[in-house]
Amino acid sequence: MRLLLRQVGHHYADLPVLEDISLDVAQGETVAIIGPSGCGKSTLLNLVGGLLPLQQGSIETLGAPPPGCLNPLTFVFQDFALLPWRDVAGNVALALEHHDLSRVERDARIQDVLALCGLSDFAKALPKQLSGGMRQRVGIARAIAVRPAVLLMDEPLSALDAQTRELLMEDLLAIWGRERTTTLYVTHNLAEAVRLADRVMVLSRRPGKVKTIIGIPIPVLERGKPQHAAALAALQEDLWQSIKIEAQVADREMLGEAQHG
Amino acid sequence: MVSRRLLLSVSAAAALFAGLVLPASVQAQAKQKVSIASLAFVSSAPVFIAKERGYFDAEGLDLDIKIFNAAQAIAVAVAGNDADFGITAFTGGFFNLAGKGALKVIAAQSREEPGYNFVAYVAGNKAYDAGFRSPKDFAGKSVAITTIGSSFHYNLGMLADKYGFKLDSVQMKPVQSIPNMMAALAGGQVDATILPANNALKLQADGSGKIIGWVHEHTLWQLGALFTSSKHVQQNRPMVERFVRAYQKGLADYAEAFLAKDASGNRVFGAKAEAAFPILEKWVEPKPSFEVVKVSANYMDPQGRLLVKNIYDQVAWNQAQGLVDKSVDAKSFLDLSFVKGHLDLPK
Amino acid sequence: MAEPRTRIAFRGGGFVLGNRRWAPWIAFVIIIAGWEAASLSGLLPALFMPAPHEVIAALRDLVNSGKLGNHIGASLYRVLVGWALGTSCGLVAGFAMGVFSMARAAGLPVVAALFPIPKIALLPLLILWFGIGEPSKVATIALGVFFPTVVSTFSAVDAVPRNLIRMAQSFGLGMPDILRKVVWPGALPGILAGFRISSSIALILLVSAEMIGTQVGIGAFILGAGNLMQTDQLVAGVVLLSILGLAISFLLSLAEKTLLRWR
Repeated sequence: MRLLLRQVGHHYADLPVLEDISLDVAQGETVAIIGPSGCGKSTLLNLVGGLLPLQQGSIETLGAPPPGCLNPLTFVFQDFALLPWRDVAGNVALALEHHDLSRVERDARIQDVLALCGLSDFAKALPKQLSGGMRQRVGIARAIAVRPAVLLMDEPLSALDAQTRELLMEDLLAIWGRERTTTLYVTHNLAEAVRLADRVMVLSRRPGKVKTIIGIPIPVLERGKPQHAAALAALQEDLWQSIKIEAQVADREMLGEAQHG
Repeated sequence: MVSRRLLLSVSAAAALFAGLVLPASVQAQAKQKVSIASLAFVSSAPVFIAKERGYFDAEGLDLDIKIFNAAQAIAVAVAGNDADFGITAFTGGFFNLAGKGALKVIAAQSREEPGYNFVAYVAGNKAYDAGFRSPKDFAGKSVAITTIGSSFHYNLGMLADKYGFKLDSVQMKPVQSIPNMMAALAGGQVDATILPANNALKLQADGSGKIIGWVHEHTLWQLGALFTSSKHVQQNRPMVERFVRAYQKGLADYAEAFLAKDASGNRVFGAKAEAAFPILEKWVEPKPSFEVVKVSANYMDPQGRLLVKNIYDQVAWNQAQGLVDKSVDAKSFLDLSFVKGHLDLPK
Repeated sequence: MAEPRTRIAFRGGGFVLGNRRWAPWIAFVIIIAGWEAASLSGLLPALFMPAPHEVIAALRDLVNSGKLGNHIGASLYRVLVGWALGTSCGLVAGFAMGVFSMARAAGLPVVAALFPIPKIALLPLLILWFGIGEPSKVATIALGVFFPTVVSTFSAVDAVPRNLIRMAQSFGLGMPDILRKVVWPGALPGILAGFRISSSIALILLVSAEMIGTQVGIGAFILGAGNLMQTDQLVAGVVLLSILGLAISFLLSLAEKTLLRWR
């Protein structure tokens, strides 16, 4: 399923946060969105996911959702958003229960995604018993259990430590190896963006506008190979240069707001 | 703060004034401070009258009247030495407390006396219409009273004994206060209640109930008494004697003013009643009208004599009901030596 | 010269509450023994406070009289029905106020205005409305339980993490599903904590509720004993009330352990 954004703008009260965002995401493509703090990355994701009302422009999907899709636009959250009173299987089940699935079908889906995310042995565990990395695996399992047309990942690895983040990136790539879902991936981590995305959209500081979109011409699954390391590092440096000034200014603006706020 | 300062300056001025006019002999003899715990009811009128007319001062007592709002608290206050004397009605609780040896009953307060309406049996309209016209027919009725062990409860007990019905067959509904009793009757929650005259007459005037008889028409008994702590009786006997003398003067004045009858036996309220009325206006809460005083001025023995046998009966009745401890003996908390000629002494 | 050598001293002790199962029993025993000693020595006159053995005797009399079951049965009925009624109404109102901004805007000032009214002050009104039978007693307790339940439910619902609700919305769950699967279990810890308060209030109000028109019930027993200055029976009644309170607290702990295992 394709995703078409046309001149999307947004403001909270009098404060404009997004201006004139246009983007086409192809079927199966992953677009990372990076930008300084407060540039409206998450706002954009919530607009696409229908959690915020659209004020300006248009956001449309194009094409039919994949077979068995229960929830075309599906989020993975930074803070995992797991129900602490449900075990791992129960948390995945939450996304399925209100749909017209037979019990057998539902259980099969749950088993399938738990296996895919390496959670089969933890089906009966409560979230409090899991590490941060395992919790986000549950979040990812829950998201792919509904066979989404578009994955909306809102800083999914930001709450994790660096080592866990590496492990999870590998897991994500492994999952995508089986089935590529159109994905919007919001992050402030340039390495993540360069590692996972087909294209990286850089937003300016608030109000967020498209500053540049950089394509990463190396196939995602090959980026781990040593011969690409230099090219990827160069790309990451390019991204850093394009975002550095913005980040500095945004940082000072935050301070000013804190003083006046 | 302002009022306290004002009070201080007023009392200072009064002291100065007293120093100017009072004879030196009285000044030299400092008055003994005593206190009495009392309800702000007409039934405490003799104390108020004796205080206002200086009978306590004449006995060298500087009396402080502490107004309480529950009979129970009065007995507790005297037992706990927060007050030297107490004046209120007998209850099961009073006997239990007195039985522990802390209290001595020394003189009479109210009693039921023929010809003096005091407490009435009141039927609810529905029960009245259904034929409930006499206190002999309390069997099977529901009756609002203040509490188990109250004087109202005892009234029913005496009726049961006299007219041979089972007290168990009366459904006692304790509702804690007289206003609640009136509300329960007016609201049709109970068949009957037992009320002091002014409350009973008000209920009847409102059309919420019918008076079907007065207690004195059926049973005569000692409702209340003046009492003090055992400690005072033992250690301050002269002070207690002086106190009782002043109290008796108050009782005599009260009887002259409010208990007088004309030749044909009707109660009359003459000039003496009008003269004493301002004292009641000052002390009784809620502030009564003269009419209310006429209705609620109950009988008290003019010399403070107790119906002694009845007090033994009350203790025995309460013990039979399981309300008063078996160890309580009326003899131990009565001291009949302060008032001469107590009535109806047990053999 | 040798460098000074210092052994590291442990300084992180204290402030950690260990498990001392026997401590409460010891405290009880010490208090009661001290009380008995004070009574026997005459330091605590019988007039002001009955000795523990007198209280125990009063309790034994109560058991022997066969009325203990009646008192406890009547009180349990009033507490349970009143509490259940007040709690269920309070849960509905609290939920509505936690979820709907209209109900919150309208409900908050009403609750703020009515919560602090001592329910005992309304007793005469309750008697006019419900009579002096069981309904007015149940209503007194229900009314006393209702407001704290509204407040605790409302705050508990309010404290359910918004991100969980947004997550549920993002997976397309409808309002009833979100209330049932996210808000209710999320609010349950706060609601159960509220139950502790409301059950205590129900017991406190039991004495008020049984002031009117009854001779049966622990509250009526305590009041009657107070009116008759039977202090041994009064304290015996208070002991019964405490035992009832402990039993309820135990049941609530059990409920918390089973329902909130996930915490």
